[in-house]
Amino acid sequence: MIARLLAISNQTLLYYYLLCNLSYLLMLFIAFRTSIAHHRKLQSFRLAWIKEAPLSPPISIIVPAHNEEKSICISVLNLLKLQYPELELIVVNDGSTDATLAALRERFRLRPIRAVYVSQIQSAPVRRIYRSETHPGLMVLDKDSAGSKSDAINAGVNAATCPYICVVDADSVLEDDALLRIMVPVLADPDRVVCVGGIVRVVNGSAIRNGRIERIRLPRKSIEIIQVIEYLRAFLVAREAWASANMLMIVSGAFGVFKTDLVRQLGGYRPHAIGEDFELVVRLHRYLLDKREKYRIAFLPDPVCWTEAPSDLKSLGRQRSRWQKGLLDGLWRHRQMLFRARYGRTGCLALPYLWFFELLAPLIESLGIASIIAAACVGILNRDFFVQFLLFGYAFATAISIGSVLQEELTYRRYNDWRDVARLLLYCFLEHFPYRQIQIYWRLQGMWQYLRGDNTWKTIKRTGLENPHAQPSPEGKASAPFMANQ
Amino acid sequence: MGSISEGFVSLGPAAFIVKALLVAIGANLLLLGFIVLRRSYRKRFFRRRDARLLEIQRDWEELTSGAIPYDSWRTKRFDLRIIETVVLDKLEAADREEATRLLKFLRASRLIEKLIFEARQHTGWRKNRALVALGRTRAPEGIPALAEALRDRELETRLAAIRGLGRMACPEAGNELLNWLTEVGLQVPALPLQSALVECCSERPRMLLNFLHNAEMPVRQVIARVMGEIAVPALGSDLLPFVHDEEAELRAAAARALPCCDGTLAIEALTELADDPVWFVRLRAVVSLGKLAHSTAIPPLLRCLRDPNRLIRLRSAEAVLKIKIGQAEIFQQVLAAKDRYALHAYVTALDNSGLQERLTDEIARHDGFSPATKSALLQALRTGNLHDENWEKVRKADFANAASAP
Repeated sequence: MIARLLAISNQTLLYYYLLCNLSYLLMLFIAFRTSIAHHRKLQSFRLAWIKEAPLSPPISIIVPAHNEEKSICISVLNLLKLQYPELELIVVNDGSTDATLAALRERFRLRPIRAVYVSQIQSAPVRRIYRSETHPGLMVLDKDSAGSKSDAINAGVNAATCPYICVVDADSVLEDDALLRIMVPVLADPDRVVCVGGIVRVVNGSAIRNGRIERIRLPRKSIEIIQVIEYLRAFLVAREAWASANMLMIVSGAFGVFKTDLVRQLGGYRPHAIGEDFELVVRLHRYLLDKREKYRIAFLPDPVCWTEAPSDLKSLGRQRSRWQKGLLDGLWRHRQMLFRARYGRTGCLALPYLWFFELLAPLIESLGIASIIAAACVGILNRDFFVQFLLFGYAFATAISIGSVLQEELTYRRYNDWRDVARLLLYCFLEHFPYRQIQIYWRLQGMWQYLRGDNTWKTIKRTGLENPHAQPSPEGKASAPFMANQ
Repeated sequence: MGSISEGFVSLGPAAFIVKALLVAIGANLLLLGFIVLRRSYRKRFFRRRDARLLEIQRDWEELTSGAIPYDSWRTKRFDLRIIETVVLDKLEAADREEATRLLKFLRASRLIEKLIFEARQHTGWRKNRALVALGRTRAPEGIPALAEALRDRELETRLAAIRGLGRMACPEAGNELLNWLTEVGLQVPALPLQSALVECCSERPRMLLNFLHNAEMPVRQVIARVMGEIAVPALGSDLLPFVHDEEAELRAAAARALPCCDGTLAIEALTELADDPVWFVRLRAVVSLGKLAHSTAIPPLLRCLRDPNRLIRLRSAEAVLKIKIGQAEIFQQVLAAKDRYALHAYVTALDNSGLQERLTDEIARHDGFSPATKSALLQALRTGNLHDENWEKVRKADFANAASAP
């Protein structure tokens, strides 16, 4: 009886694994196609024209910041230098206990103003509003902390006066033309495009001076390089593919543009959401599909946001646990969308995919490992078949990773140094063991924490964008790069 | 070969996995090989291109003057592409004289013919690229090819043609766009079209009027927004009829364009539009009244300070602050309205513009205010609020000083 059960379990695992990998392969092909088409489309676009166009819609950039004294000034400097016709920059100091506000006040000569602040979307009280004397477009909201990034963003949305908002993390820097690029689909079809996501890349190892990326290099630590591959796979393959069918379920909290009115209509980001960016996008889909409106949520791989990735196992583990919690929280909250004809392919394809191949993957994988071990103990495991299957899985997963590096090579080529590409390719072979197994543990831990109701924000060690010295800061990002875990 | 297939057969069900494994390993090797080869090729290509680009830059004068025969590089695809890129980039930054010289070169070298040919004969992204490049040349002979592309089945091609025509930035290109619009209706997203029309019609905005009168919705809306963007004083009374148009977009466009018209007429019309039931019409009217910055605009602006829409309140406050005289009296009237939202909007705009100190001085030095009124006004200015007992003081003062108000 046990032997039969184990045989069934192993067979199910085999089919699950095959299906999962085939979907990745399909996504890789779609991503290649879409990416090349986008690259060609850009040849008939001149970004400089967007910059000069009188009708380009203004954008409010919202930067939620909590204890970001090391990186906030660099980040704000970077954002003030962005190329775009009309910008408003709103930094939300979310009850920082360090010198975030003081650093801003000193660097940008902030003076308090009595601006009208209508709390249209609920958020913690705003203590004071500042405006820069040196940069009139810069406004700083100093608010009480409500313990969530959503709350800080919502305060920023309340203060925003432009038709589009762009949410950027305080420990990230954008490339100069990132906003011009991200607005390309909006300008082409402003009625339908409600939200656009840009790509997030790992800045560790690169040189930043005065808020500008000077030199792009691959990080040194293995753990950081593996994250580079994960980000490439998640953004250049998965998001590109899902977005091409208008089924993109996440726009990174580190860099995304939304229609302000729509965000307000939705009531802003959900307070205390764990993965607030994911939850908002799912809610957007739901709201617009309920209203039967024609819309598009786009993703572009060329507007680049560089962000700092965790550089030690403990921080990475905390981040991944949190991502898993965010995924579970968002999916559970919108479970009514599953397999409902009203939600079309979002409800029948994208969400089930996230449930089965993202959320439940660590559970199924760990069960699979356990069942293989049990089968070996019982003596029903065909050792040759198992080894061959393991090798096939390894080779296949490596091919997907190399494919995402190729995608980067074919299109955007940010890593120019030969040695960087060689190392990146080397790590495509090395990332599967034991990193992947550790990650299963982190993700299971996240699910367990969520089920126990442990949603506390744990600190992640960060070194700062220009500063080599490590310093702890609360986790600000919840932009799980789905498919990072394949 | 026989032994390999026999080997597979002997593996039984595992044969599938072994085959898959071999395919996966093969795919890995292919991908790696491709990346390595592509990197080497690109390295060589860019080295060669950079070297050639330097040579071309060095010989640029001879190339453009024809001292180096055009045929010597026209047949070389590599050189042709570099020269085309350089000349188009130079055209973007060229002054009138330089642009004429470069255009002459484009014609003499028949590069323009090549672009027209590509715009007509190619398909897909190549066609789109040629259309935009043609627009960048600003050569009038490219307009017919661009106009033809407006009728293309592909949306991307139509958009590329619109961008190309917009870049031409001449009334002829604008005419093509407008004729096409009236012929087929709005078949593309409005924003790129509006941007192109703004570029093309800004030299001669009057050309829009005829279309504006005859077009149907939603084309009329598009043209109205363009008109709002590029209206000039010369249009004067031509715009006034749109103040009473049934379409809100048109009234908004008229509101936006009116500051360019005769002052008195414009203020009357804008005062009317400041009471419009549609919020964005009121918003445009308020912004335009601010542009005129005339004392007769104060009453409608003070009314709009109490508007239910916060954007309108804020813009009204900004507009009212642009009126350089009598800010103390204006502030008094803001307080007399006894509307906290209006007061907040005014104080916000005051802080944003850094005029607070000037207003404090003005109130302190004002002869017409009693000490009690002054103190109430200064307190309100300082705190951004007004206590109930002080409201009455200011209201009374308001009546007493009505005559001195601007």
